[in-house]
Amino acid sequence: MTTTADPPVLSAWSAVSGFGIGRAAFAAGLAAGAQVDTELDPDQWQVPVQRAALVPAFDARAELGRKGTRSMDRATALAVTAVGRLLNEECGEWQREIGENTGLVLGTTTGSAQSIMDFTRDSFEGDKPFFVDPARFPNTVMNCASGQCAIWYGLRGPNATVAGGRLAGLYALNYAARMLRGGRAETVLCGAVEEYSRARAWLEHHAGSGGDSGLLGEGCAIWKVEAGGGDGLAELLSVRFGVPDPSDPAATFTTVIKNALRMADAEAADLWAVSPCCAPGVYGDLERRALENVLVKPTPTRIVPGDLLGDTAAAGAALQVSAVLAVAESDRTAAGRLALVTGIDPEGAVGCAVLRLR
Amino acid sequence: MSSESHNRGKRSASQRVVISGLGVVSSIGIGIGRFAEGLQQGKVGARPITAFDTTGFSHALGCEIVDFEPDRWITALDPAELGRASQFSVAAAAMAIADAGLDADVLRDTHNVISIGTTDGESRDLDALVEAELRDGPEHMDPRLARHVPAGRLSTSVANELGLTDVEAITIPTACAAGNYAIGYGFDAVREGSARFALCGGADAMCRKTFTGFYRLGTIAPEACQPFDVNRKGILTGEGAGVLVLESLDSAVSRGARIYAEVLGYGINCDAHHQVAPNQASVGRCMQLALEDAGVKPAEVDLISAHGTGTKANDITEAGAIHDLFGEDVPPVVSVKSMIGHTMGAASALAAIACAIAIDRGFIPPTANHVETDPECGVDCVPNQAINADLHVVQNNGLAFGGNNSVVILGKHGEAAS
Repeated sequence: MTTTADPPVLSAWSAVSGFGIGRAAFAAGLAAGAQVDTELDPDQWQVPVQRAALVPAFDARAELGRKGTRSMDRATALAVTAVGRLLNEECGEWQREIGENTGLVLGTTTGSAQSIMDFTRDSFEGDKPFFVDPARFPNTVMNCASGQCAIWYGLRGPNATVAGGRLAGLYALNYAARMLRGGRAETVLCGAVEEYSRARAWLEHHAGSGGDSGLLGEGCAIWKVEAGGGDGLAELLSVRFGVPDPSDPAATFTTVIKNALRMADAEAADLWAVSPCCAPGVYGDLERRALENVLVKPTPTRIVPGDLLGDTAAAGAALQVSAVLAVAESDRTAAGRLALVTGIDPEGAVGCAVLRLR
Repeated sequence: MSSESHNRGKRSASQRVVISGLGVVSSIGIGIGRFAEGLQQGKVGARPITAFDTTGFSHALGCEIVDFEPDRWITALDPAELGRASQFSVAAAAMAIADAGLDADVLRDTHNVISIGTTDGESRDLDALVEAELRDGPEHMDPRLARHVPAGRLSTSVANELGLTDVEAITIPTACAAGNYAIGYGFDAVREGSARFALCGGADAMCRKTFTGFYRLGTIAPEACQPFDVNRKGILTGEGAGVLVLESLDSAVSRGARIYAEVLGYGINCDAHHQVAPNQASVGRCMQLALEDAGVKPAEVDLISAHGTGTKANDITEAGAIHDLFGEDVPPVVSVKSMIGHTMGAASALAAIACAIAIDRGFIPPTANHVETDPECGVDCVPNQAINADLHVVQNNGLAFGGNNSVVILGKHGEAAS
């Protein structure tokens, strides 16, 4: 087994979000800085809120064709779309043979809650409890999106799904880095996906500590990550996680960020940019306090896609990483400098990543 | 990817990873002692399902756990704030660290990994939320159940219960191979030195959704799970959790820990072929990757703990892949699912624990409910009666929806110490 001391490199990326589909749409939307939430059609969405930040006019069949999309749920369609845009628009000409040693790691919160709950609902409502659509059974399993992406694009390397709510993208990145360091894949496509759905809107409505104050969004960000040494957009220097001590959660978060900087052999003064998740309510407050404990003046550029795209849950940290890459492409001062991406998941973990822009 | 053999001979003691603690919640016994006894006796955990209303299904047996008392294992957290799968993962982790002779204070001194695999997360609570919604409308869902839902809680709850903060708590929902995925993840983290201890395994709670899906596919057995039997009729759904403590050989030796077995390596790949049906060539390739990673030749494998669901399709495909790779030299191929049912994301973790026990205690767990071996499978599945055996290398297969395969190779720790 080969190992490499060089940090893994993010060499290409794409995204699907409220800004639209593809890298260019994401970069343009972020640069424009306009909120993308829209009024929900009450006939289509029976949810406890009026607005959401949806992927504009997203239609799996229009995007991917009729074949293979009949039973596909929204989360899977978003992921297959994002991976397709990455491979076809950002990675030259994609050929299935390349997939032999290409892995895929996707972050999620709980897969498609809508698919799971619809399946159970059919079981309760049908004349018989087993009158359910067997073609939709795989949608109720959380690794559906990553398995479908593998089938669509012939990705036969390590294929994993990681659940971590808002931090899912960072868990995926760390997982991918571990696969590359261990020589288990040559290339790993990696990112995270979250769909907007009626089920998610109601679950968030009941579970959310901040009531309905947070605007929900959706999307998928995906990067091509390769073993170190090669060309690329950014190096992944470190990823670190923690689980907050309930008596002093900001202290845990502060330690996690300091450890990530130490592992990157970096100081706060080296940071060109910081991209916090800025979750609503107490979680955002915790993140702000932790960052105040670490950051030094002059304050790094702040990149907060969540202000525009809403709470995209599992896609959150992934879209933050992509936003850092997007801003760096148009900021000459970024080259060679560092970016810190932070996140906190309600009742779960805290984490961050340190990237060096090329 | 390297194909050099005998990697383990080249690894230093700090890069060799051993299993030093085990925790089990299963339908044939809670705790490592009872689980081991159950394996040795060929005990079967099947019974009529009570986890959900089975009215309208013509048959509904499953390997449900009816004697689990969360309060016995979960002391720092309020069990009511956890879904059943998280209760299982927390309980199994608490048992595993006690079994490893680890004090939580020792764990708090170092950076560790908690990796928990799952198929359904807390889908059992989603079932209940759907029921409430149908009865009273969506505005009347129970907020506490809604808070259970994010699957990340299966691993972060373990950290919360143990009071661990400097920890990577990751949940890996790669369906029915998730337990092996989680073990592989912990193995890599310990081997590369980024974690001192890894608490890894899998957990799932029985739910209506998954039973219904398999029933609709015609893959729920009416009475018994009979892997590799000519008259096998499918799976019985099960539930439970298994958690293993992994640490480096150095670490285990320095603290005088008991070592069950060494994790020699693992393989991981994807069929990229079909969401539900396994692909024989790809399953074979995953086994090959695992053996190469472990530095083991097929002829050195003494036992295969199969994914062995007991469906027509799985067992033929898996046995075929084994024959392709092992040729004339196929070792015994057993399925613990015959005893504990298909515990989904916990399945390959519980099977890996069974392998570690088998190596440690010197026996092969049987394949229960066996009458007549399917000639198309053509394996010695060690029918119904455990046999004594000196096991040096054991292979544990995990296959999943999405074409997600992971195979873990364990070895006897006598060799680990040499």
